[in-house]
Amino acid sequence: MLYGIAFYLFAMVLVGSAIAVITAKNPVHSVLFLILAFFNAAGLMVLLGAEFIAMLLVIVYVGAVAVLFLFVVMMMDVSFADLRSGAMKYVPIGVVVGGVLLFELVIIYSGWKFSDAMELANPNDISLTNTEALGHILYTKYFFIFQMSGLVLLVAMIGAIVLTLRKRSGVKRQKIYEQVNRKASDVIEIHKVTPGTGV
Amino acid sequence: MSDSFLIEYLPILIFFVIAGGAAIAAVAMSYMVGQQNPDPEKNSQYECGFEAFAESRSKFDVKFYLVAILFIIFDLEIAFLFPWAIVLGDIGMFGFWSMVLFLGILTVGFVYEWKKGALDWE
Amino acid sequence: MIEEFISTYGEYLFWTLLHIFVILGVLLVSVAYLTYFERKVMAAMQRRHGPMTVGPFGLLQPLADGLKLLTKETILPTKANKPVFIIAPMLTFFLAIVAWAVIPVDENWVLANINVGILYLFAISSLGVYGIIMAGWASNSRYAFLGGLRSASQMVSYEVSMGLVIVTVLLCVGSLNLQEVVMAERSFLMNILLFPMMIVFLISILAETNRAPFDLPEGESELTGGFMVEYSAMTFALFFLGEYANMILMSAMTVILFMGGWLAPFGISGEWIDWVPGIVWFALKVSAVLFFFIWARASFPRYRYDQLMRLGWKVFLPFTLVWVLVVSGALIATNSLP
Repeated sequence: MLYGIAFYLFAMVLVGSAIAVITAKNPVHSVLFLILAFFNAAGLMVLLGAEFIAMLLVIVYVGAVAVLFLFVVMMMDVSFADLRSGAMKYVPIGVVVGGVLLFELVIIYSGWKFSDAMELANPNDISLTNTEALGHILYTKYFFIFQMSGLVLLVAMIGAIVLTLRKRSGVKRQKIYEQVNRKASDVIEIHKVTPGTGV
Repeated sequence: MSDSFLIEYLPILIFFVIAGGAAIAAVAMSYMVGQQNPDPEKNSQYECGFEAFAESRSKFDVKFYLVAILFIIFDLEIAFLFPWAIVLGDIGMFGFWSMVLFLGILTVGFVYEWKKGALDWE
Repeated sequence: MIEEFISTYGEYLFWTLLHIFVILGVLLVSVAYLTYFERKVMAAMQRRHGPMTVGPFGLLQPLADGLKLLTKETILPTKANKPVFIIAPMLTFFLAIVAWAVIPVDENWVLANINVGILYLFAISSLGVYGIIMAGWASNSRYAFLGGLRSASQMVSYEVSMGLVIVTVLLCVGSLNLQEVVMAERSFLMNILLFPMMIVFLISILAETNRAPFDLPEGESELTGGFMVEYSAMTFALFFLGEYANMILMSAMTVILFMGGWLAPFGISGEWIDWVPGIVWFALKVSAVLFFFIWARASFPRYRYDQLMRLGWKVFLPFTLVWVLVVSGALIATNSLP
């Protein structure tokens, strides 16, 4: 019974906050509702027994990705009414993207439902925690996929730098190495000045 | 599926409810106990005695944005390290070198951003 | 229906609730006396008396402060975004408290003994940034906005090295469960390898909790209080409680990861010492780390922002990253992985 209550609680808050994400007037509120949605999704993951994934969802999506979203939304210095006025012309492309996603979900679901993939998804040894079960295969059996994700992260890192890094000129930076290595003999000259002649 | 570990999460859920309740109760109690006497000057935003010149939510340095992106990437890297760290004894040398390669790829990116000066603040 | 519910879950619910209220009560009292402790220790270091008029030795000072904050007016700035403005301190307080659900204070003395305890703590502490960023944005004040922004960047920067430090500990203990982290046998080699990580962790938690010398988000001299500038009364008190509860939490985390939790220090045992309950050791060790927090505040001047970022990204991150490989390599070479 408790399981059922918890499931419907998480599911209802999740769907409710997901709706609030797209209906909220203020984009910052949208992002905050998105965080609530992530959080409840993590609750559902725990109910499914995927503790590790649930915690990662909170650490990565709530703790990192949503922080970035908040930064972006806070950074946009535009009036939000202007932003909303042109929203209707994005509806067709939104429908296409949504349709593709729905189609993919149906394919995945039917693949699970009508094949034996369901059994494969369970770890062989029930005594392992799911973090260990994941660790046993991720780095060895799925070696290439694992390395590929490393490459994706590399591309993301370089892309972010290329897109956002702007050097500002005329700012003084601290150069620790040079500053520490300065010697009195390099920078100070001693002149003998006789009165009345100047240096 | 074994549900035995789920019962360990129940106290956390109850704790969430109580902690949330405590936070709301604290503010509500203070709101009722304290004398509320608002006035427009008191409720205006804090400045050095003058009216604010401009909207306070201004554009800010794109650097903060870059830090957030780099953080996501390194956070993901750590997420990959967690399961690796606890099963390293079982997956042996192959698992070890697999992670060395993964970290090596990311170190290339790290060196790139260091050389580009993405980690410098002014 | 209700009777059935009570007969099945009543006892369980009673003990759980009792446990939760004990944690809450002890935590709030500890926070109150941590402020007293801080003021007294700082005073002693600066050759002052510290609080001394309210009650004997000023012992009732925290109570007086709490009552004062409770009876003050809750100011809601006109231009602020009110719901977010009010939720922000509540969230900070909430997060600082709920993390305690998984902290084991003695053997089998923990509210929720989950398999992924460390990840839970890491997740909750990574959410701490929201209270601050929301407060900074919702206040609609320039000081608050700048403070919130700085704080967010600072916290995420140091979280990376904290995560990597946790990974090195995991390599030595081979489990994500906090009880097993404490109980795992650690060889001499592991202790040597983990010692530098402990130093990094101690410095990172100073930055993570926005304490001096990394207290730039508050930076009284330039930001007049940072993200908290618009807050008053209980909303301010909740930020304050949250910050101090977080300090205790981070100290507890250090104790669990590096100092053997509730076990007697340095592995001492024998008739004359075994009677001391584990929770006493735990409390003593946490107090020692808290003393370090205050000591650091009394000793060091505030960092500049570029220095802070340099330390996080250019010193700690590469160092901990290399150290993960050093620890794993050394443990494989000596065949002492768990």
